[in-house]
Amino acid sequence: MVMSNIDKLAEDLERQELEAPNGVASPQLYEQLLAIYLYQNDLCNAKYLWKRIPQSVKASTPELANIWAVGQHMWKRDFPAIYKALNSVTWSETVAQIMKQVQDVVRNRAVDLISQAYSSITLDTVSAMTGLLPDICIPACMERGWMVEVDTRIVHPVRHNLENLGHTSSEDQLYKLTDFVSFLEN
Amino acid sequence: MGLNRRGAEQLKKHTDQGQMTRVYKSPWDEVPLRGAGTSGSKGSNFFSKSPDEMASALEQFVNTVRTLSSHGNFRELCEYLNKSSEILLKNTQHLDNVLETLDTQQHSLGILAVLCAKFSAPVSSNSQDNRFSQTQDFILGCNGEQIRFAPDTFAELCHSLTSYLVEQRQPLKGIVLLQKAISKLRLYDSQLTSIHSDLCQLCLLAKCFKPALEIIDIDITGVCQEISHNPNGPHFDAKYFLLYYYYGGMIYLAVHNLDRALYFFEVAITTPSHAVSHIMLESYKKYILVSLLLHGKIQAVPKYASQVVTRFIKPLSQPYHDLANAFVSNNTAELNTVLNKHSEAFTRDHNLGLVKQVSSVLYKKNIQRLTKTFLTLSLSDVASRVGLSSPAEAERHILHMIENKQIFATINQKDGMVVFRDEPDKYSGPEVLKGLEEQLTLCMELDKQILAMDEEIQVNPQYVKKSTGLQDEEQPSKSTYAM
Repeated sequence: MVMSNIDKLAEDLERQELEAPNGVASPQLYEQLLAIYLYQNDLCNAKYLWKRIPQSVKASTPELANIWAVGQHMWKRDFPAIYKALNSVTWSETVAQIMKQVQDVVRNRAVDLISQAYSSITLDTVSAMTGLLPDICIPACMERGWMVEVDTRIVHPVRHNLENLGHTSSEDQLYKLTDFVSFLEN
Repeated sequence: MGLNRRGAEQLKKHTDQGQMTRVYKSPWDEVPLRGAGTSGSKGSNFFSKSPDEMASALEQFVNTVRTLSSHGNFRELCEYLNKSSEILLKNTQHLDNVLETLDTQQHSLGILAVLCAKFSAPVSSNSQDNRFSQTQDFILGCNGEQIRFAPDTFAELCHSLTSYLVEQRQPLKGIVLLQKAISKLRLYDSQLTSIHSDLCQLCLLAKCFKPALEIIDIDITGVCQEISHNPNGPHFDAKYFLLYYYYGGMIYLAVHNLDRALYFFEVAITTPSHAVSHIMLESYKKYILVSLLLHGKIQAVPKYASQVVTRFIKPLSQPYHDLANAFVSNNTAELNTVLNKHSEAFTRDHNLGLVKQVSSVLYKKNIQRLTKTFLTLSLSDVASRVGLSSPAEAERHILHMIENKQIFATINQKDGMVVFRDEPDKYSGPEVLKGLEEQLTLCMELDKQILAMDEEIQVNPQYVKKSTGLQDEEQPSKSTYAM
């Protein structure tokens, strides 16, 4: 699933929820929307969605609680627990796709965070934050150019600067600058 | 349109011999409205022939609405409707029949009056409560141009609907409806109506904030002068203004947009006033908490706030000032003492969650202060200096702060050290330029707005009169009121 697709799906689901008769939507809708909020790392909205799902729906759809368990661990930023919650359940058709994406997103964020925050980190911590076994971690770290001391089991991540991808055309820029100058002069 | 069909069916039932087939052709058509239960099984009993005085009053009501609507005399119609609310209230049991004879699009004002009467009348327990569906049909189908002749009544209907849904504990149902209502009533996107506060209230109760954010993200530049029947000229009820900013601030708090939340509470407490409003008092309490969260100290209340704030509201919020003083002292133990001492007051104000956030922010603030004195520090030192229980806990806090870009530091797990770095030089590159551009655009917009308001004041007859009077017929120059 492409990201813009997910965003669009989220908007659709939000609208459907509002238009649901008597304010109660289908369990599938709640499941998908909750999972998408996790994917977007929009934990606030996830939390309030969980709070507003009627008790009866929660009772009839235990998977909702499983999804929210992942969200709770994300809220606490407890990485090992997130992976555990993600992988201890077999997700139903409705959300399997999205939950897989959630795992990827969480892992990517963890890797970014490691490279930003640590100059040296134990292999165990890397393994816990990425949810990958140490044996898999070592080649993955090397691939990123991180130095791994195998005997001490210490990894030295390399910080990479986040580059902004947004580019504006020079014509557009010129137009804006003209605008500003004419504003300041008058 | 279900309403119309139902209406037609009922008409057939009530009229014998099908004398009346359709009632919408012209306002002069006779209206087959019958007082239910007044004359039993007797057939073709129209108002004109009815002995029932009440019913004939309703008949006249319907005819007047239709006549004035079809002639486009909406102003006159409004005056008439204002006078006839009593008649409607006396005949609540017939109001559904009245609704069926009116068309949502053509007779919006008439239907509006009837629906309002239905909401203000006591609910009879035996009749089915169809107020929600009727209001829904009305708001979705009504004529925006017409209802803007009676903005106060329209807003009143929305207020009634809101409190009805609050009572029914079904706030989610009304959100789309009120969004629609706002878009029908306001003339431009940044105009505030009193329905705004209703929408915010429903969103808060439903714990569903995205629809409200769409509305409150737009900065207000004008207010819909809803109450037009006022000796001092049209105005807007301050209650709804304050509520809008109070609820809006709470919504921003819920989604952790502290900047906007602080701004909304600031608007609420700087509203000119001569008496203490409870909404302002609560806003002030939250203002303190949010400014602690955001700036680590109480942001000074702007000078243009009315005296009420310093004179009455501040003394009433003593627990919050105590909390702020403890917070500023950077002493975790002291903060906890204050928290325990006033926990009852905080709970009563429903601010305990925020207060707890404040106390957890103090750790972060203290870590931030360390970066000013130290270049490197062991994690266990960080823990003991900040008052955290273990180095691991300190590491967790620092990690969070790095992720949120609240500090710039690098953790070295090998030696258990943390290195505080300077803020990376980020004043070059396209993103800075982009930020600058955005700021400038905002300023230009603001300037434009001020100029427009300025012009509006200049041509205001009252202002012109006053300024020329003061200056002995001198031309009012631009500088006379420039502040």
